[in-house]
Amino acid sequence: MRAVIPALVVPVWRTLPWRTLGAAGAAGLLTTGLPRLFGSAPGAWFALGQLRAAALAFALGLAFLLDDPARHGTAPVPTGRGVRIALRVALVAPVAALWWTAALLLVPGPDRPPAGDVTLEAGTACALALAAATLAVRRTDDPYPGRPAATALLVTGVLAPLLVPDRWALFVAPQDPRWAAAHERWAWLLAGAAAVWVLSLGEPPRRRSARPRPGPHGS
Amino acid sequence: MTAPARRQETGREAKETRETRETREAKETREETQETRETREATVREAKEAKEAKEAKEAKAAKKAKEAKEATVRDAARSASRHSLAALLALARFEARGLLLRLPVVLALAGYTAWIVWRTLQPWDDYPVLQDADRATQGGPLFVGLAALLCANQAVLRSRRHDTERHLGVLVLPRAHRTAAHALSVVPLALLTAAGVAAQFTWEALKPGALGRGSAAELLTGPLVVLLFGAIGVLLARLVPSAVAAPLLVVVSFLLFVGAGFPFTGETGAVWTAPLAAGAGTHSYPSGLLGRPAGWHDLYLAGLTLTAVLLAVLLSGTRARTVRAALAAALTLTVLGGVVQTGGVPAVTTAARLRASLTPEKDQTCVRRGTATYCAFPEWTPRVGDWARTVERVQSLTGGTAHGRPLLVRQRLDARRGLLDDAALAPSRHPRQVTVGTAWGGNRVPEFSTAVAAVLVAGDEKTASELCDGRMVTVMWLSLAWQTDPESALRHVRLDDSLTGSAIVLSPTEPLRMTAGQTEVVRALLHKPVTGVAVRVKAHWAELTSPKITTARAAELLGVPAEVGADRCAQ
Amino acid sequence: MTVTVSASGLGLRYGSTHALDEVSLRLRRGVTGLLGPNGAGKTTLLRVLATAVPADRGAFTVLGHDPATARGRQELRRALGYLPQTPGFHPDFTPFEFVDYVAILKELTDRAARHQEVRRVLAEADLADVRGKRIRKLSGGMRQRVALAAALVGDPGFLVLDEPTVGLDPEQRMRFREVIARAGEDRTVLLSTHQTEDVAMLCHRVLVMAGGRIRFDGTPAELTARAAGRVWSSAGRDVGAKAGWRTGDGGFRNIGDPPEGASLLAPTLEDGYLLTLDGDLAEVTA
Repeated sequence: MRAVIPALVVPVWRTLPWRTLGAAGAAGLLTTGLPRLFGSAPGAWFALGQLRAAALAFALGLAFLLDDPARHGTAPVPTGRGVRIALRVALVAPVAALWWTAALLLVPGPDRPPAGDVTLEAGTACALALAAATLAVRRTDDPYPGRPAATALLVTGVLAPLLVPDRWALFVAPQDPRWAAAHERWAWLLAGAAAVWVLSLGEPPRRRSARPRPGPHGS
Repeated sequence: MTAPARRQETGREAKETRETRETREAKETREETQETRETREATVREAKEAKEAKEAKEAKAAKKAKEAKEATVRDAARSASRHSLAALLALARFEARGLLLRLPVVLALAGYTAWIVWRTLQPWDDYPVLQDADRATQGGPLFVGLAALLCANQAVLRSRRHDTERHLGVLVLPRAHRTAAHALSVVPLALLTAAGVAAQFTWEALKPGALGRGSAAELLTGPLVVLLFGAIGVLLARLVPSAVAAPLLVVVSFLLFVGAGFPFTGETGAVWTAPLAAGAGTHSYPSGLLGRPAGWHDLYLAGLTLTAVLLAVLLSGTRARTVRAALAAALTLTVLGGVVQTGGVPAVTTAARLRASLTPEKDQTCVRRGTATYCAFPEWTPRVGDWARTVERVQSLTGGTAHGRPLLVRQRLDARRGLLDDAALAPSRHPRQVTVGTAWGGNRVPEFSTAVAAVLVAGDEKTASELCDGRMVTVMWLSLAWQTDPESALRHVRLDDSLTGSAIVLSPTEPLRMTAGQTEVVRALLHKPVTGVAVRVKAHWAELTSPKITTARAAELLGVPAEVGADRCAQ
Repeated sequence: MTVTVSASGLGLRYGSTHALDEVSLRLRRGVTGLLGPNGAGKTTLLRVLATAVPADRGAFTVLGHDPATARGRQELRRALGYLPQTPGFHPDFTPFEFVDYVAILKELTDRAARHQEVRRVLAEADLADVRGKRIRKLSGGMRQRVALAAALVGDPGFLVLDEPTVGLDPEQRMRFREVIARAGEDRTVLLSTHQTEDVAMLCHRVLVMAGGRIRFDGTPAELTARAAGRVWSSAGRDVGAKAGWRTGDGGFRNIGDPPEGASLLAPTLEDGYLLTLDGDLAEVTA
């Protein structure tokens, strides 16, 4: 197994959906960078909204990370699904970190929300995207689990700010007294998403409720 | 009729035409032969004439046959285009059913319905002003529109995702028609949205407290936004065949149109290029002062929608000249609507706003109820009864001369700096004149009540806004004592929603100020029976309304002696 | 010959449909054909045996490895070559790169040896000439051969091939048969197909599946023998036949229970297959 991973780095790097990730990253940078183009200072509250939108955009791209056209043929190989998914995530992580740094730097200093806390929010969005995609991989044998995962993430991302009750407020402003408590909740959410992700990595020896991809599998 | 049946019938018609023609020709030939036989002795010239006549007849028959054939071809072409239109509509119906059952759309519709119900049931919405209620129907459809964008996009990409494009590509219905069907499939969703808009507005209009006049153009905006977003989803799928594009566009749209990220703001100008232009300001205004180019905006939205659809159809590989011409027309409509709507407030409206702000009496109708006269903009006259009830209740608690002296309640507004301006009105300097705004219900009632009490105690609004002495106790007691839950009303009229300490007290014009001591005394008074306090107020009216009275003295007179310091108001 | 693959009581349900219903089988070295109508459960059986999807019930072993444990499944996968019904590719890879990628996933970590192995299977699948071309530029038949090469890489002892000859022209199919026959000389090959000729030409054994169950397990000759005396020709459509169709020479070929004095024909594997399905025949010939 140890020898497999270095050998896999280059081919797996090439199978990553770079175009999708690039589009998502570009859309994210656009949302943070546009006000700069217009030459106006966004204001702290709006800058936070921009960073959140950018994080959601990038997370939407990450939801497509596990799309693999060769999935059917490469499913029953000794190098398990968990290793391959983890490798994909490991390869994309530095890129994501670089991208997020750029997005943060695009927001003018005075308006920038606390970097650590907002990074926690972005990390949670990405973890949720990966958890959704991994769960989709586990529950279906669709080679393209990204679309349903992205749709679920998008619906959650749009509805959560509107529907989350005040008691569990997540989308608060930096000067809000609930900021610290909200970020504690973000941390829990991140932990939950990471746990779901890790638990979905393995291939269960017994089936629970796998759903076949409708269509090509006639028999 | 099914397509093959129709084709059969066309065939039968053609056959019949042919048969009739053949019979006729045969008959003609038979007649000819007989004629020839009968005129066997006729001259060569006659024979020649007959031949000429025959030739003419034949030519005529041939011409007729040709015409009949052309007509058949024309009919066939017409019926073919009718078939393809029918197929297009059938496909659109099929896609519409699929679209309406997609989870994001179902969630958006459920959320939209919940939003309508929640919003319309709010107590602050009991007295809707219909020229604002029409605009308030526009926010919800935006979410339905975003769902339409996402799902229409995914529907167009479906054939690519399942690799059926190669198969569908060789079917009778061309790709462009399929694109058009996807765009049309958003129509039922837009109609559902229109039903939602209609239900929401009708609900508002049927409320007993409703007044004003709604605009059909404003109501149309919501459904048009749904159509526009659906069309953009279809266009996007033809431009960028990637599953990530639509979710990203939804995020960007959300930030732009929901998260206040749109670079243009204000009441006029480029802000109208957004799907939903210039949200509601703080205040309501008479419909004559709005000057919103809602109709032009609808034209702009419709033009944009058509442009997106036609562009998507062109990108699907059609070369039809009609589509290009239609695209040019749609672009023209968009530009026309876009230019006119950003043109700013018409001069007539600006003049009307100035007049209504500075000399409202020129526009207003006045009604007399009891000792008070109520002057309101014509659309607000149904509200006079509500105002009068408040005034009479406050008056009934007063004593001395305040009870019988005339009072003028004048509705005022300030539209000079545009309709989004949220500055408070300047207090009136006219003695015994109370200002009332355009909104009613919720906190507006205790605020108005405070203004009435303040004028009855202090004489005019300007003086009342500077009150810092014991008169404030009487003002607040008069304002609150008659209400069902005076303490909660007190909390609501105070800017910081507090019940202790000093605070700003809201009124229709400039706010008043309460010190911590006054708050304490007023709360103590509110805990005592109203009638008992009322007797004391009436008995000591002259002293209670004298500018020299301190809070401590007022408390003593009203029977709630309290240890309060000298009256000091922070400026 | 020793049993290499044995399964007992395999069951798998999707909702209320039994994709696999108490399937038991024993495979030996050589090519075994798996016939059955669409929806019979062939692909599901292959996916279960290839450990692509776990079964609800039952157990099986492949070459002595039991996939019920993680270690057993790992060992099984090391000995497995799988060609799925709808193989997908990374279109920007060349055949060499793609097969090399699969080889790494199969834990062939020694670079030089792996490249040699990849070249070997590409040659075996007749792809040596196009190994540097991008897969997106290859024809459907060539792509199918890339998938076969990916299945063959690493010299697996158990080959699972799901309809490998679909969409190939006769010449390509012939090439495929050669490769599969060669592979079957010293390996266990399970081949799902709709082509009865494939089975007749390649397989030493044949399984017929319908409705998630195994309906027949025997040699191709035995399957053919099922139709002995039950195939006849007639001038017109014979109402007593279970199935009948007009042949090129104008007469009717019928299968079922022949009337007395009918002129019997020599049966084929397909006749035996159709008669085995019998109850499901209506849907087969519809």
